[in-house]
Amino acid sequence: MTLDFDYAKFIPWFPAIGVIICFICCMKPALRKLAGPACVLSILASFIAACMAYSYVPGVPGSTAAGEGNFAISHLFNWINIGDPEKGGFVANFSYFFDPLTMIMLFVVTGIGTLIATYAMGYMHGERGYARFFAGVALFIFSMTNLVMGDNLLVLYLGWEGVGICSYLLIGYYYDKPIAVEAAKKAFIVNRIGDLGFALGIFLTYMTFGSIEYKVIIPAAQELLAHGAEHAVALTPAVKAAVAQAHSVSPSYLAWIPFLLMLGAFGKSAQLPLFVWLPDAMAGPTPVSALVHAATMVTSGVYMIARLTPIFQLSEYALPVVAVIGGITCLFAGTIALTNNDLKGVFAYSTVSQLGYMFIGVAVISVGGVFHLTTHAFFKALLFLTAGSVMHALAGNLDIRTMSGMRKKMPVTCWLMFFGCLALAGFPFTAGYYSKDLLLGDAIVKGTIGNVPHANWYLVAGILGIITAFITAFYTFRLWFKVFMGPTSWEMGTDEGHEPVDDMEVITDAVAKEAEEADPHHTHHHGPHEMPMWPMNLPLIPLALGAAVLGMIAVGGLGLIAPKWIESMLFNSTQFAAFHPEHSAATDATHHTVEFISGSLAVLGIALAFVFHCWKREWVAVVCKPIKPAINILVGKYYVDELYELLIRRPLHTFGRVLFVFDDYVLAGLVNFASFIPRLAGWAARPTQNGVLQKYGVGMGLGLAITLLIVFYAWLAA
Amino acid sequence: MIDIMTTLMTLAQAAPEAAKATNVITEHLGNLIPELILLTGGVLCLMTGLGREEGTRKATAWIAGASLLLAIIFIPNIHTITKGFYTKEILDMSGFIKLAACSIGFLLLLVSAAVPDLLPQTKEAEKASKFDPGNIFRGEYFAFFLFSLVGLMLTAGAKDLIWLFLALELTSLPTYVMVASARKNIAAQEAGVKYFFLGALSAAIFLYGFALIYGATGHTDLTEIKNVIAAQNLANGELSGMLITGLVLTILGFCFKIAAFPMHYYAADVYQGASSAVTAFLAFVPKAAGFAALIIILSTVGWIYGPEKNHLPEILEILLWVIAVASMFLGNVLGMIQKSVKRALAYSSVAHSGYMVIGLLVGIPAVASDSAIGNGIAAIIFYLFAYGLASVGSFGILACVRNEKGEEVDSYDEIAGLFKNHKVIAAILALSVFSLLGMPPLMGFLGKIYIFGSAFQAGFIWLVIIAVINSAISGAYYLRIANAAFFGKPAEGITATNTPGRLTGAFIGAVATLVLGFTGGFLVDTASHAAEKPPVLRDDESKDKAAAFDINLEPQAALNKDIYAQ
Repeated sequence: MTLDFDYAKFIPWFPAIGVIICFICCMKPALRKLAGPACVLSILASFIAACMAYSYVPGVPGSTAAGEGNFAISHLFNWINIGDPEKGGFVANFSYFFDPLTMIMLFVVTGIGTLIATYAMGYMHGERGYARFFAGVALFIFSMTNLVMGDNLLVLYLGWEGVGICSYLLIGYYYDKPIAVEAAKKAFIVNRIGDLGFALGIFLTYMTFGSIEYKVIIPAAQELLAHGAEHAVALTPAVKAAVAQAHSVSPSYLAWIPFLLMLGAFGKSAQLPLFVWLPDAMAGPTPVSALVHAATMVTSGVYMIARLTPIFQLSEYALPVVAVIGGITCLFAGTIALTNNDLKGVFAYSTVSQLGYMFIGVAVISVGGVFHLTTHAFFKALLFLTAGSVMHALAGNLDIRTMSGMRKKMPVTCWLMFFGCLALAGFPFTAGYYSKDLLLGDAIVKGTIGNVPHANWYLVAGILGIITAFITAFYTFRLWFKVFMGPTSWEMGTDEGHEPVDDMEVITDAVAKEAEEADPHHTHHHGPHEMPMWPMNLPLIPLALGAAVLGMIAVGGLGLIAPKWIESMLFNSTQFAAFHPEHSAATDATHHTVEFISGSLAVLGIALAFVFHCWKREWVAVVCKPIKPAINILVGKYYVDELYELLIRRPLHTFGRVLFVFDDYVLAGLVNFASFIPRLAGWAARPTQNGVLQKYGVGMGLGLAITLLIVFYAWLAA
Repeated sequence: MIDIMTTLMTLAQAAPEAAKATNVITEHLGNLIPELILLTGGVLCLMTGLGREEGTRKATAWIAGASLLLAIIFIPNIHTITKGFYTKEILDMSGFIKLAACSIGFLLLLVSAAVPDLLPQTKEAEKASKFDPGNIFRGEYFAFFLFSLVGLMLTAGAKDLIWLFLALELTSLPTYVMVASARKNIAAQEAGVKYFFLGALSAAIFLYGFALIYGATGHTDLTEIKNVIAAQNLANGELSGMLITGLVLTILGFCFKIAAFPMHYYAADVYQGASSAVTAFLAFVPKAAGFAALIIILSTVGWIYGPEKNHLPEILEILLWVIAVASMFLGNVLGMIQKSVKRALAYSSVAHSGYMVIGLLVGIPAVASDSAIGNGIAAIIFYLFAYGLASVGSFGILACVRNEKGEEVDSYDEIAGLFKNHKVIAAILALSVFSLLGMPPLMGFLGKIYIFGSAFQAGFIWLVIIAVINSAISGAYYLRIANAAFFGKPAEGITATNTPGRLTGAFIGAVATLVLGFTGGFLVDTASHAAEKPPVLRDDESKDKAAAFDINLEPQAALNKDIYAQ
């Protein structure tokens, strides 16, 4: 089947062009203002290309793709081809894999990416390294689109590491602040642990299936699961070979693959115990927190599990473990957020918590997992960006204890954030409500029906999720009420106004004055102020709309698109091709019950937050007094960082020192000895190179004679 | 363009039958259009180079460049796959080497042509007695440049022993002049003289080899030679001693061209003595010609011996084994102890020849495999491309940077700390030496993967181990170069000359090693098609040559389908 969507394979490459333009802008101070628009336009181009490709993708509602099959591959170029793929050769091409799941991810990455980059044009205005920032963002989108579009695990891994390095660069954007540098290193190093697992998982996949291409391993895993039952999909020879190879290897290989891959997902998506890097990552500029550390990069672990669901089913323990880890993380991070007083910190822990929901969702093979990823991208990006506006207005102050009644100063931001908070809290009929309750309902259904292995694990995860729903509502509105309601008061942070200077320009009074006249809102002489409509508040409006109504549209259609759009998208994705969700009166009833319970919990949480943080603020101290020890644990973030220090960092340090001594005295000696041999040989051979023409001639003759002798002697001897 | 070629080919075929049999050159004239273009360009260069006006003289480099680009267009292809707007041309072996010669030749020209106008040396060198290609260009320099490239291209397309000999000498003779053309520079003079005498000695050796081959087979035409060798093998089960001796002498003589053991002595002195732009030329052009000649001569014997019918005759195998191992070790250990960067890179050139000789041992498998790994010859011609680009990058940079006396830099101390003041230059240098080292994901890595991988598949495990050990040893001096350039203490008085062209040549070379490291798949494809069949075919083989190509193109076409779905 040939698809007429040739341009789709260029989706990641528009941002790549953006990177190059931004890089040039970094070099030429005169051009640096162009970096922002160039970055935005390149991401927008990707978004438009993704929209144009949409109807050609098989499986999406209203697809024009003729014929069978539930995915299409767009081949860009041959990358690594070693050996014959039919006989266990290794193939990893730059080909892109299109199915409905890819399209959802692409819409999230490029669509939300465009909005956030637009906002960042205003937010980063006048920062040092303005062009460097946008180069990083464009590089991030390039890597992320490769991650979601690659048709094999190696391209996925390439994108995975690419977003990792972009995350490192962008967290460490303020490289002169030690805290940012520390956070960047922490994020990178913690992710090493996960990525090691991921890499091993890929190796093991290749050893097991003889391939790392989705079009082979996913059907092969489905075939293994079905144990010869009837299939909707015809098996290609490559898949048959993969199945045969998987049968021939040890069954423990199959069981190990999901656990290794899972480690990668937990690292990237900040789940227990590898979540410690994400809260620190907020040291980066706020648009980065919104784009990289809330909406897109951190969800790539969720995407990976969703994409490889059949592989994760190869071990009966894998998905239950994912669900339980997701549930525990969800509650764990939610409770930390309860007492956090950092504007971005609350949202960071809430991101960890919401990612836990997504993991529950993908673990119970619910539409809700990826659906929640989508809605979360909208409302969490909105929350971070509005938080960024507040921070911007208060010159970098993030302590919510010092803020109150900001709605009078920043009315637009206040109500934009309100929509985000409603969605995050899961207030009935907002986007977060639909997606969260869908996955929680599925978890409870799966846990109560009990026809799957380890059903009670799913039940535990679902119950943890429902409890967290209440906590989420409370901490979300605690923040909102504290910051925007009550009497107006604030403290300014320590950031100076952003001088529009660049790294190389000498700051002169004249330049600074001129800049101030041109941009009065970038100086902080008049207290907090509302953000300008363009380019900062306008891009937030689509996000707010999405946070409010995306759930209704995606589930109900509202006459705009086909009803149950999200469901038909996901269940037409490759990995679910043979999967049919159960629908019965009983399951519907369970779903409705869960929706009712968690909806009411959300309302209750909001009401409690209203009481304690808006209406009777003095009651907080009264209530907190008796439970002080518990609160201290929460404020200490369960002392996980300290635990890491004690259990991992210190032993590693000690071990490192031992190795250092070993290296210095034993290995270095050996290495020096090893390098001594060729050096000695070099010295021995040096006299042959004495620069005298005659001797060279003699040398050639001698060499000729000796070689001839060796050759003929060996010939005669043989 | 293709039409002109076809017309000429038809003309050549229309020539009378008798003339066709006797006159090989006429028969193949249709394939020689790129060479003819370069020859014409060379003659034009001689004329404009002697022009009265300075403007006319300056046009010389442009003429040389234009003729190179024009020649690329006219490289004959044997097959074209058209798919929509996308056309894929399948080249044969000589076509591929011609492509490499012209495209890398163009970069070499950039490195040679752009002369630093502002240097005092340049003004001084305007006087005829002080000519130095490092500082000024002259018409005859470009003429020799193009003639040597013509020699390389003719070598790649050789059909006859005499043709082969003449083509090889056409490659080398101009380079002797190019090395010595810095008339006031004693080192260059010395290098030129050494190169000439030792080159003449080597030519004598392989000419003796040719004579013995002629004596053993009674033919100078390579196809006939192959027929006779095959018949001899069929009749006696082995090859005659005279033939073997001829082959051995030929191979040893060619070792001079590729700067391999035991003919490598000249390399360091000559590479160091010549100005860096010329050194870049020496590192690629004679080496490519030598390998083209080796491939041609070995394919008259064929990789059809041994128990599995996929080896060279044992004696040649031993010979090449010795050459490969000795070249790798000598090149790398001597490279390690040098104080001069140019000498270190010269020895690295010896070592690289050693790596490539491994590919000669593997040869062309009887049954074409789908992947490029497995075909040693494809690996060699790809590796040549990678090596050429990286050496343009590294020597081009050495040509850009001057010490306080205005001479081209040479020692490690002089390139120390380049990064501090000349970031791009240091980055290009580092990228190039990393590619030479074979660091992933650069092109040199791909090249090594293909060479070592095919040797591994063909069962030369020990050679692969030795080659990998040697790659590790070579890290010592490559990394030392990068280390000096990035972290060394900047030396006094080091300036980068304002030579955009020279820098552009090096830049393109270095960036190409990076880009082709990722996307080199198409080049590997082209190389494996080019090396699908040996360049010299027996009569019975060449009958189904066209058919064979058509059949073998089928799976490839399927592989290259732009879009496919389950």
